[in-house]
Amino acid sequence: MTSFLNNINLMEEILKNRILRIAMPVGASLLALLFLFAFLIYIVPGIQELEAGRGTKLVSNPELTADPGYKKQISSLSKDIQRLSKKYASYTSGQSYVVINTTDNRFYLYRNKKLIREGFCSSGSYTMLMAEGERKWIFKTPKGRYRIQGKTTSPVWRKPDWAFVEEGLPIPPAGHPSRWEYGVLGDYALSIGDGYLIHGTLYKRFLGMPVTHGCIRLNDEDLEAIYNTLSVGSRVYIF
Amino acid sequence: MEQNENTTGNGTLKEKARNMNLIIAAGVVAAFLVYYTVMSLIAPSRKLNEIRAGFGTEQEGEMIPGSEYFTDSAFVEMMIRKTFLQSRISMAETDSVYITLNLADSTANLEISGVAVHTAKISSLKMSRILRRENDVVISSMLASPMTIVKDYATIRKEPLMVKIAPKDTSEFKPDVIPDTSDYEPVNYILEMDSGIRIFVYQETDTIAKDRNSLFYFDLRDRMKSVTGSLWRTLRFKVPEYHPFIKIRVPKSDAKVIYRAVPRNGQIAVYR
Repeated sequence: MTSFLNNINLMEEILKNRILRIAMPVGASLLALLFLFAFLIYIVPGIQELEAGRGTKLVSNPELTADPGYKKQISSLSKDIQRLSKKYASYTSGQSYVVINTTDNRFYLYRNKKLIREGFCSSGSYTMLMAEGERKWIFKTPKGRYRIQGKTTSPVWRKPDWAFVEEGLPIPPAGHPSRWEYGVLGDYALSIGDGYLIHGTLYKRFLGMPVTHGCIRLNDEDLEAIYNTLSVGSRVYIF
Repeated sequence: MEQNENTTGNGTLKEKARNMNLIIAAGVVAAFLVYYTVMSLIAPSRKLNEIRAGFGTEQEGEMIPGSEYFTDSAFVEMMIRKTFLQSRISMAETDSVYITLNLADSTANLEISGVAVHTAKISSLKMSRILRRENDVVISSMLASPMTIVKDYATIRKEPLMVKIAPKDTSEFKPDVIPDTSDYEPVNYILEMDSGIRIFVYQETDTIAKDRNSLFYFDLRDRMKSVTGSLWRTLRFKVPEYHPFIKIRVPKSDAKVIYRAVPRNGQIAVYR
């Protein structure tokens, strides 16, 4: 019985030693790898940031400010800044303009550099419509600076090819009566070029969402305010 | 018995050899780490020299006019304002969207043709030490000049494009579903500029564990990519690239608006 117990103890000892002999190097290697990883990923970039560079201490020296050369330089700089500030301020004209935020689907109408109206709109849905024959259309609102190129009341929508493709309808020839749709664009439309319009909508519940084919949709009151405030040539800023 | 002794002797020899190999391997790794660290420490100085060459007081071996006043705070302040205004004007000449970071009043602005169309409040700011400590005129002139985005990495898509296959006929037509506008994606991104500066824009709130994890993995991935590049350059006996950084936190919705608005190769100018 004693010999049996001794044997068990011996076996336990051997097992422990074997486990330790395997586990120790594995554990040590893992620790070393972890250290290596942390060293490369965090410590070295941290040490790099200790490099302060040679900074120049900025001072206000009365002797320097009395120097005629300095005065000349300051005066020239001051004139340049005034000229540049004037030029920059001239970019924000006193004319009316509208700003469209396509991420949040909001619009901001300005007159004399003051915000006079803001609200929800709908912009491009970022849908890529793919049809047979490798034809495709991307429905997104263009970004940047545009100008109002035309204004119409009671606009009629001339349906482009994609409007038929999207519904699985055959594309009619240009000028076909099925191309014309009445009453879907609201009471007014303002063109910003390349076929993009600011217009009204029947789907008012979608205002504030990206659902259009690239045009900007507004509710009736906002559209009327924009129509009455902006004139042909007014700027439209889309971002 | 003799055989046993031989076996034990061989075992000890093997163990000694193994230990020796381990020591040699550890030595090689340690030596490489020292070499890598030294090379990495050279990198910021190199970057500084590059910046000085482009924006310093000396150009083509000659002092630029007025550079003797570059230690005067009033003069420097005016110089920086002038450079920043010049940059804004040059960016405004395009019809495109650009960003101006005004670190002095903690705002990130989107502008189009000189009109500020969106402003976001910067809630926290971190900068590389060389951007904070180096000669003000040199660094500020570099930052205030228009920088072009050459690469960007983000946790959101720039254009959330959805593909729709056109129906073959009217029977296949399905009306569009209402888009999912829930705002669940964490918004963090890095804009890499042509000047080598990297601008990190992180969403302000990371109180949700998912947001914190997303930022941690996003940051880790970026660090690993950068270390891989640095290791590769070091192995070829080249000094790793150093990218000074500006890290800002803005509200999540503003971060998203800025990222989606600015074009792929958009421009940024920084005023500090």
